[in-house]
Amino acid sequence: MAKVLMKGNEAIGEAAIRAGCKNYFAYPITPQSEVAEYLSKRLPEEGGVFLQGESEVAVGYMIFGAAGAGERVMTTSSSPGISLMSEALSYIAAAQCPAVFVNIMRGGPGLGGILPSQGDYFQATKGGGHGDYHLLVLAPDGVQEAVEMTMQAFTLAEKYRNPVMIMGDGLIGQMMEPVEFPDGLKTEPTNKDDWATNGMAHRKSKKRNLVKSLFLDPTALNDNNLALKAKYAQMKKEEVQYELVNADTDYQVLITSYGTMSRVCRTAIDMLKEDGIQVAMLRPKTLFPFPEKAVFDASGKDSCQAVISIEMSMGQMVEDVERCVKGRRPVEFYGECGGDIPSPEKIIEIIKALL
Amino acid sequence: MTIDFTDIVIVAGNYGSGKTETAVNLAAACRSTGKSVAIADLDLVNPYFRTREARIPLEAMGIQVVLPDRQYLFADLPILAPAVVDILRQPADVTILDAGGDDVGVTVLASLAALLKNKPVRMLQVINAFRPFTNDVAGCLKIRKEIEASGKINITGLVSNANLMDDTSVAHIYQGYDLVKQVSAHTGLPVEFITATPEISSQLDFNRISCPVLTLDRHLLPPWKPTGARPPSHLTLKT
Repeated sequence: MAKVLMKGNEAIGEAAIRAGCKNYFAYPITPQSEVAEYLSKRLPEEGGVFLQGESEVAVGYMIFGAAGAGERVMTTSSSPGISLMSEALSYIAAAQCPAVFVNIMRGGPGLGGILPSQGDYFQATKGGGHGDYHLLVLAPDGVQEAVEMTMQAFTLAEKYRNPVMIMGDGLIGQMMEPVEFPDGLKTEPTNKDDWATNGMAHRKSKKRNLVKSLFLDPTALNDNNLALKAKYAQMKKEEVQYELVNADTDYQVLITSYGTMSRVCRTAIDMLKEDGIQVAMLRPKTLFPFPEKAVFDASGKDSCQAVISIEMSMGQMVEDVERCVKGRRPVEFYGECGGDIPSPEKIIEIIKALL
Repeated sequence: MTIDFTDIVIVAGNYGSGKTETAVNLAAACRSTGKSVAIADLDLVNPYFRTREARIPLEAMGIQVVLPDRQYLFADLPILAPAVVDILRQPADVTILDAGGDDVGVTVLASLAALLKNKPVRMLQVINAFRPFTNDVAGCLKIRKEIEASGKINITGLVSNANLMDDTSVAHIYQGYDLVKQVSAHTGLPVEFITATPEISSQLDFNRISCPVLTLDRHLLPPWKPTGARPPSHLTLKT
């Protein structure tokens, strides 16, 4: 298919359709409302449904309902809206249902602002809702990757029967880039007869399925948590994605950065190279599972003097970076989170100060 | 061929068609011919990438830029600056209104109807053939109808802003131009101009195009472009 020019929000909507998602429930919030706008036009053309809930709390449970019935389902929101959905996320993870959540992050905490931010890293990777669960979290750095990750998200959600979150900052949703929709990423839905409440009529097995997150028997609850734990261990083994930039050089500094912020760092790395300064970047594409070994290995290079995590937050991913560097190198941090994104020149200034 | 606009010019079109880049560059082009120019951001819909981002270079050229009050600059509230009413009462030689996208984006025009009445108004539909919903004639006609119904004002001319941003080639410009010509044939509306970056513009066969070409410098750049890549305060003013 030829390239088209799309906003990240529109492209995420189209990618969901291409992935075979026919169910989209959402509540509008800047800076992601274009997903709903786009899908409200496109989904009916595909025989799908967009329904606006009365709140994000309601939307969370509409997602749970559709997921429990074995349907491919997605919602999109932005930071405060995701907070409202966090209870449902915990329930969906506990009940082991596949669903795709998109967070186009804006500044927080509280109502914050409408400009881009990466302030929800902790919320996405460390819980958000209650209990021992994780989301599988994908972080695109542009519109094309947002398309690919949205399509992958449905497959991953079904593989693990676990909610998958796409984490984009506001700019990923708002900016336009030329995109293509690869056919190869579409997968057939998995057979859900073993667990989904998808109706007895067409099934061979007469087993009655129950979707639930309540386990009053302590052994049953412990077993469910062990089952979840095993899935997260498998994700850590099989799903880690990251990109290394300029890492085949004798770099003096290793940057860790993701999303829009990593695009700025990439420009800074190119500009520093022209000054004869080699800097590498490790860009996690999955925030959970985190590229633990890759960060450890990249920080250990003899030439590397320091690691710096650069984020549109006040210091969140840096805690995972510190954990993975294991004290081998000093780990620094630079971040801004009012909505103004640091310029490549600013990043260069920060890096030079480290040398 | 040059663009010789006067009076009020409203830049409308479907969401993401490039209205703001077009409006900003049109303002600069009109100013370069010595006319007084005012531009107002009427985009109450889109939260990012608005006229406000080009304020400094435009003001440096002596263009009057009307934006919401500073305290509301980063709000997603539908605020229409009172100064918009003022510039319509006392228009510059060229007064450009950068409307919001789709039918919802031009709703605000209906509230300005009394001020626009009996004034010479040019209402442009900007079309990018590589955007969803306007990649064929039917799509462009549908958007036109929706904009006219919602803005209570008729479109008087067409603009092709065909682009895939950095991936744009000369062939894309021709493809977009051909689509807009077809829309023109269906509607009788003139193609007022097409846009192209300076680099692409220098490669165009002008015998193939029977309308002016507005050279378009990109002002709304993503944050990873080095500051040096941004257009200087004096824009390239070739049409």
